[in-house]
Amino acid sequence: MRTRLRWLSVSALELWLPVALLLAWWFASRHSTSAYFPPLRYILDGFRLDWLSANGAHNLRPSLTVLVAGFGLAVIVGVAVGAVLGLNRTVERATRPLLELTRAVPGVALLPVFIVLIGIGTDMKILLVASGAVWPVLLNTTDGVRSTEPLLVDMAVAYGMGRWRRLRSIILPAAAPQIFAGARTALAISVIIMVVSETVGAQGGIGYFLLAAQRSFQITDMWGTIIALGVLGYLLNLLFRLTEAVVLRWHRLYQARLSAPRR
Amino acid sequence: MTDSAVGGPPGTASPVAALATMPGDQRPAAAGGGNRTGAARRFTAMTGVQLAVIAVAVAIWWYISDVASAGSVPSPARTLSELAALLGTSVLWTAVGQTATTWLIGIAVCAAVGIPGGLLIGASHFATDSTRLTIDFVRNIPPVALVPLGLLLWGPTRSMVLLLVISGTIWPIVIQSIYAARQSEPQLRDVARVFQLGRRWWLTHIFLPGVTPFVMTGLRVAATICLLLTITGELFGGAPGVGTQIQSAQVGNDNPQMYAYVIMAALLGLLVNTLIWIAQRRLLGWHPSFRKRA
Amino acid sequence: MTQVKHQATVPALDADALGHHYGEHHVLRDVTFEVSSGEFVCIVGPSGVGKTTLLRCLSGLQCPSVGSVRFNGARVAGPPRELALVFQDYSRSLLPWASVIDNVALPLRAGGLRKREAAAAAADALHEVGLGGVDPSAYPWQLSGGMQQRVAIARALAYKPSIVLMDEPFASVDAQTRADLEDLVRRLQVDLGLTVLLVTHDIDEAVYLSDRIVALAGSPAGVADVVGVDLGSVRDQLETKLRPRFAELRAHVYRLIRGARAQPSTSN
Repeated sequence: MRTRLRWLSVSALELWLPVALLLAWWFASRHSTSAYFPPLRYILDGFRLDWLSANGAHNLRPSLTVLVAGFGLAVIVGVAVGAVLGLNRTVERATRPLLELTRAVPGVALLPVFIVLIGIGTDMKILLVASGAVWPVLLNTTDGVRSTEPLLVDMAVAYGMGRWRRLRSIILPAAAPQIFAGARTALAISVIIMVVSETVGAQGGIGYFLLAAQRSFQITDMWGTIIALGVLGYLLNLLFRLTEAVVLRWHRLYQARLSAPRR
Repeated sequence: MTDSAVGGPPGTASPVAALATMPGDQRPAAAGGGNRTGAARRFTAMTGVQLAVIAVAVAIWWYISDVASAGSVPSPARTLSELAALLGTSVLWTAVGQTATTWLIGIAVCAAVGIPGGLLIGASHFATDSTRLTIDFVRNIPPVALVPLGLLLWGPTRSMVLLLVISGTIWPIVIQSIYAARQSEPQLRDVARVFQLGRRWWLTHIFLPGVTPFVMTGLRVAATICLLLTITGELFGGAPGVGTQIQSAQVGNDNPQMYAYVIMAALLGLLVNTLIWIAQRRLLGWHPSFRKRA
Repeated sequence: MTQVKHQATVPALDADALGHHYGEHHVLRDVTFEVSSGEFVCIVGPSGVGKTTLLRCLSGLQCPSVGSVRFNGARVAGPPRELALVFQDYSRSLLPWASVIDNVALPLRAGGLRKREAAAAAADALHEVGLGGVDPSAYPWQLSGGMQQRVAIARALAYKPSIVLMDEPFASVDAQTRADLEDLVRRLQVDLGLTVLLVTHDIDEAVYLSDRIVALAGSPAGVADVVGVDLGSVRDQLETKLRPRFAELRAHVYRLIRGARAQPSTSN
């Protein structure tokens, strides 16, 4: 009972500001005649019609395909290459300047290059997202693998674990918190590149819709799409955090234990 | 504990050697000297290997340019000569200047607002809890969503790019600053109380040095995001800068020029990363993650 | 061997019926004892008995739930100026971003001393703890564990306290360093006429160092007894520890701490 009350008071504390901001927006824009800042009521109507509908699902599908495939590819490649670099100091040092150079290319700047190389299509978008999102995963994996407690590795060797077993049972779990941190940044970058990549060609998608709304001065649609992107970003992040909470349960508990006040 | 201060003349060593010896190193000077030459030798051997790796990458690029469909991938030589030619023009330098200025304004505004704001929020439980949900929502809005709004309000200008840049760059700084204020070592708070350090001394000698590593991490992440968003804004919204040059080269079917500008963007990125690395090393020489490299 | 109450003067530190609980969890119960000026007192008890909580209450860092602490007769509401504390974990109580000399000088600078005077006083304190030969611009983490704890002791000394509280100060150093540090603290206490209150879980250490021992036991912890240590004022790591009286006191304190506990203890 007491804990439930506590939980309620915490969520009230977290909720008052967003609610107050929304109300402020609602009332401040109520009689707005500005073309660029329509009343929130119209925006929400537009949002519902455009995105909480069959039409919305139709527009979302290509976006989510690009996002999931691109992000997934980035994580797979990033963890694989990152693990190799983290395990092998010499390879890591030998390739460092090349990686620094490649990494420095801002992901979006490659869009024109990819258009020329691959053409305007879903494949191009997936590869573009992956090429921009791979870096945080790769760098964090390298770092995490390299800073695995050496004692744990010694222990694994002493118990006769093979190379593959060590990687799977010791090194990757130890690096997992850092891999997740990198993947979270990668997810945010993926969304940005996904939206930008959809502004070329006319194959639908949330980015295409956004630019089309702006170009045709459908201001409420534009605002509705901004909100849709916000909701999408928030939900993706929530999903990611839930996954992290399940996979890294030990890490969360361990951290809480470490930072608990000592008596 | 021997007198090691005379181990080597300060300021004459190479950057690598300077990293290898920390001030007040307790190891005897002779051993330090031996390590230094060893490290230098390893350094040159490794540099050779690193250059070889880059050479291989360039060779692969060359091969691809050879087999790719006519002109879609220019050869490295063609691209570099194009870049060299561009380096002599004012068009390139104007674009670089515009991009760099936008980047600088963006990161400066975000730091000036985000660091104090984040620290203040983090210092209070009430503020942290109240803003958690709001910040969590707002920062997850992909910043590019605001480009159309910026275009409507200001057209393809620096203000439009800055709206995009600031709305995306500020969050890593704010979040790391909140985290930093929350993380400050409780034991050091006790130290400050027992030795009766006043508020000012606590702030300047305990709190601020303690939060710097976290804030620097936020700034490092923010700086790369800031450049990414600057170029995104230019490319996507058509504001002047390197991004627009890439775009117009592609539209004009001038592939060598497009590649040259992409390399220029990468060099800018490299410059940003290096600047941050230097700043971090200067400010955080004491921090564990930098001690290891010493 | 009961509580000594012979001074007509005000005790340096006086704990009166202290009790503390975190929510439902009671840690301390009716802890009463006093420390006279110039005395070396050890509080000894098994790990997890609430020694650190007690020390935090005594130093004014924490307010006890019940009872009061008096320092030179005045009730303690926050850390008093004449009190210095040496923390258990030097790696977390020394500032990693400040040099050795700056760590020691910081409280003095904050107290209003000029930079040069503070540095001179800090250098004296470092010399006092045997760190005269160390580069003062070194960072603390570049030194060995024992040397870092010496820096922490120097910081306390430079503050010119009349009483020094120490929380398991030698728990994280090796045995040889530990013996050296014990002798250092004992020498400083005698030479400078300091009052020292040291918390430890190590019975040998408590008997070797102190003039009196406050034995904590039970859960919630209370004072099992206060034991006078009649081993003279000159102590020697070999000779003192070989004396029959040392063994007797050691066994007595051991029984006090273990006897009051129902279940077998896990402390060493």
